Amino acid sequence: MNALAWLAPVALPIAGALLWPVVGPARRWLLVLAPLPALLLGVFGAPGPPPQLNWLLLEAIADLDIGSRPLLVMTAFVWMVAGASARRIGDDRPAFASLMLLTCAGNVGVLLAADVVTFYVMFAWMTFAAYGLVVHHRTESARRAGRVYVVLAVLGEVALLAGLLLAATHAGTTAMPEVAGSLATAPGRSMIIGLLIGGFGVKVGLVPLHVWLPLAHPAAPVAASAVLSGTMIKAGLVGWLRILPLGEVALPGFGATLIGLGLVGAVLGVVAGTLQSDPKVLLAYSSVSQMGLITTAVGLGLVLPDDATAAVFAAVAYAVHHGIAKASLFLGVGVHKAGTRGWSHRTLLAGMGLAALALAGAPLTTGWIAKQTLKSVADALPEGGGQPLTLALSLAAAGTTVLMVRLLWLVREPSGPRSSPRSDAPADARGVIAPWASIVVAVAVGGWLLPLAVPDAPSLLPLTTSGLWDGLWPVLLGLVPCAGWLRYRPDRRLARASPRPAIPAGDLLLLIERLAPAVSIPAWWLLHRFDAMERRARTFQDVGRVTVRPGALIDHLEDRLTGWRTAGALYVLIGIAVTVALALGTA
Amino acid sequence: MTIGAALPVLLLATSLVPAIATFFIPERSHRLRTALNVIAAVVKVVLVGALVAGVLYFGLEFEWRAAFLPGIDLVLRADPIPLLFVFLSALLWLTTTVYAVGYLADDGHRSRFFGFFGLCVTATVGVALAGNLVTFLVFYELLTVTTYPLVVHDGTAKARAGGRAYLLYTLTGGALLLLGTVWLHALAGPLEFGQTEVVGALAVNHRTTLTIVFVILIVALGFKAALVPLHGWLPQAMVAPAPVSALLHAVAVVKAGAYGIVRVVHDLFGLPLAQDLGVLMPLTIVAAITIVYGSTRALIQDDLKRRLAYSTVSQLSYIVLGISVVSLSSTTGGLVHLVHQGIMKVTLFYCAGNLGKRGVHRVSEMDGIGRRMPVTMLAFTVAAVGMVGIPPTAGFVTKWYLGLGAAEAGQPWIIGVLALSSALNAAYFLPPVARAWLPPDPGERSEPTGRALAGEPGGWLLLPPVATAVSVLGLGILAGAPLSPLTWAAFIAEELMPS
Repeated sequence: MNALAWLAPVALPIAGALLWPVVGPARRWLLVLAPLPALLLGVFGAPGPPPQLNWLLLEAIADLDIGSRPLLVMTAFVWMVAGASARRIGDDRPAFASLMLLTCAGNVGVLLAADVVTFYVMFAWMTFAAYGLVVHHRTESARRAGRVYVVLAVLGEVALLAGLLLAATHAGTTAMPEVAGSLATAPGRSMIIGLLIGGFGVKVGLVPLHVWLPLAHPAAPVAASAVLSGTMIKAGLVGWLRILPLGEVALPGFGATLIGLGLVGAVLGVVAGTLQSDPKVLLAYSSVSQMGLITTAVGLGLVLPDDATAAVFAAVAYAVHHGIAKASLFLGVGVHKAGTRGWSHRTLLAGMGLAALALAGAPLTTGWIAKQTLKSVADALPEGGGQPLTLALSLAAAGTTVLMVRLLWLVREPSGPRSSPRSDAPADARGVIAPWASIVVAVAVGGWLLPLAVPDAPSLLPLTTSGLWDGLWPVLLGLVPCAGWLRYRPDRRLARASPRPAIPAGDLLLLIERLAPAVSIPAWWLLHRFDAMERRARTFQDVGRVTVRPGALIDHLEDRLTGWRTAGALYVLIGIAVTVALALGTA
Repeated sequence: MTIGAALPVLLLATSLVPAIATFFIPERSHRLRTALNVIAAVVKVVLVGALVAGVLYFGLEFEWRAAFLPGIDLVLRADPIPLLFVFLSALLWLTTTVYAVGYLADDGHRSRFFGFFGLCVTATVGVALAGNLVTFLVFYELLTVTTYPLVVHDGTAKARAGGRAYLLYTLTGGALLLLGTVWLHALAGPLEFGQTEVVGALAVNHRTTLTIVFVILIVALGFKAALVPLHGWLPQAMVAPAPVSALLHAVAVVKAGAYGIVRVVHDLFGLPLAQDLGVLMPLTIVAAITIVYGSTRALIQDDLKRRLAYSTVSQLSYIVLGISVVSLSSTTGGLVHLVHQGIMKVTLFYCAGNLGKRGVHRVSEMDGIGRRMPVTMLAFTVAAVGMVGIPPTAGFVTKWYLGLGAAEAGQPWIIGVLALSSALNAAYFLPPVARAWLPPDPGERSEPTGRALAGEPGGWLLLPPVATAVSVLGLGILAGAPLSPLTWAAFIAEELMPS
């Protein structure tokens, strides 16, 4: 029973993926039910300690810690909701549903794995299965997104593997707490930590490794976008929290770098996101921005080993909040695409507005709790470093407000139902409204349930007037430019000047794509030249042919030898000779 | 003859006797020939199972010897390392026989083919079980000649050119191996695998000579193991029919070379001596160069089998790399890759053969093929992902152990080589996979020919790749299970490590 509770969260989705083609009409519920064991494990905890799984992988260890349990609940819940809204998609393309289930298994596995090998296996599993979700639509933009995704994923995996190998060797074990602990004293510590930060950074969308994110998240069908941006992006965060020596040693250099890159990401996400006209691209940039804030929390944990637990908890609380809010926004965009009119459109706007307020950190929302937790950690920075940082966090919230207003603006018009065969939304919008509504409820009440799930968490509800005001003023500040924008509509002039967004999706990537041919074309040319040269030369053989001139002779011999009777008889004779020789030898 | 002596001989006989019998089966007696070969292959698997059980559970010794040259016996002995290789060759012989039956269904020379095929396996089992260098040499040479008719099976000019290259390279290697063997015996007298202390004792007076002999032996084996720059024959030999390429790249020829290197390092010289002579570091460097070189060359090959051939060049040196680095995990990784590389590569060649049956020979022709041949391409995907070393496949287990071993031995630069190789592997294995599953680009669509429109080939051609692809996953997911090749390799490595 206990082993089942630990294994089913991963095994059930895999079984579902494999059985998808053979299960009858009931399979529509498979996507919804597969994450259920993970949800139960997260909510109720396991009936016993994790079982020994020596036979699995390289002696797999499973565990749940204070950080991964809330994330497991969030992840499983978002997968169930996304699965419910994707029930119909699999009908025309069974591979999509199977890939969703496989990705789900990897995503849940990442949270349960407690040794570096299993963790890496699950992480890579999730990453590569998700490629199928990214390229689902098979359009040129989806293919490009898929290419960029895979290239960065492979580079990330390679860096990760190298880092994990070095770390595990030093630790002499693969159990993650021990590996993280011994990392503090490992030789070549900086290189290992650099590899791990970079390897997981690809997934987290750490600037400048974020370029795949604004391409890949919008390219997938909305249900997949919701899990990509809501839960899978957090797998990299879990990696950081589990493997970095948080609380063991102060790493001011890496910590400051993470805080800096996180803030750059927060700003970049807001600026580039606001300029987008596709709501899904905008949401992807919002993820870059929000993950930047979470990165800041991890950076604080590296700078302040004494407050590392609080920093970890701030990152986890933020991740749970962002996962649910972002998934609800992506699914909301899906509802909008499916078609809304009248009351359903008003409900949609109200629900998305709520999630948008949560992301901006308006008082009493989940975002407010998360941001307050983060700020309380930042206050611990010595020498007044806390004040500029908390100010920066508040300004980021103001930026998020602008971004969210822009999002609501993009979906302001009711949309008629679309019935194009390429559309990822089901024909019947009611099928997606129900799951979406359930996650909106979670946005509304989730923040208040979090302390119940993690009783030993630091105090979460700073219900003071200053705390309320602290959450409110950035939102109000963000509304000011929005009001000005609504009054003067500069975007109309901009749109006339240039139809494309000023910062196209993928920002830095376009620069890289432009520069890449300068390297790749000469390299390719050289390789081909070399190939042709070797084919022509074949020095070794040519020497043989010239000196012995066996061409005619060998061909003749070959003619004789390839007649099988000659050759076969020859071998029989040899065989007999050897047998006789052996018989004589033993005698 | 006791059971202990009979079993090794029986193992040889289960492929030698049917092979010779096959030569005399008339071409049209398709069923008889198929039944004979498949049954023989199954019997061999059962016998290998008995052998493994006997050694592992009952602690039995299996050894057969017969006088051969004055003072030198022909010896077949089931030590732990040979068991690993025999196990692999018996299993893959079975799957490849099944595959070849389907692949050559319309061929006119099936009796010749299966006859030599059986001889080739006989030689491989002999190589595997060889208990001393002379026995090894005899079967190694036998392997060279029995494989040649398989390489040139199609009889085309290209096939003959490939066969010529194959013979020139491998016979040169064979001559060098003979030289090394004679020289070593002249120094050490009669010598069996495992008697590393005999060679070790020579090191006092004959350091230079021993170093030279070691280099000669490794170079000789390097021809078959396709170490750069001795790899030239391998991409040319890919003209052979798919089942031959499969066997050639997975168990028979190239693997015999790599296996020979394992035995020379571990069972002839022994790690302490090899380390003392300072010959391991150069070997590591050669292996590292081969790994990167093979992967780089594979990048631009459009011909699928050629790309696979260069990939073999690269992957085989993973074994050599693992053997040449002195640490427990490295040795484990190198040994287990003997099995893992074989199963992954055999899958890829089965799939390449199936694609070839549908007129698809080039990577550029693979657009959208996954829709028409989903089973083949699923197997291909699993094996390709395994080659890159993406978990949870067998290839990942190898890579993890090699990397761990490199770090243990204090040579982290090898992790860099592995990382580079993984990235290159991804760059030449993932594009064909993506091409196959995505529909063709409207821009560069080529009109499919009549043959290309057909779907999956029959069961004989599908079952083997499915079985091996499932193993690729199983060997990764259940790597820690008892009796898995990894457990086995770790056990052997434990014994081999100088304490």
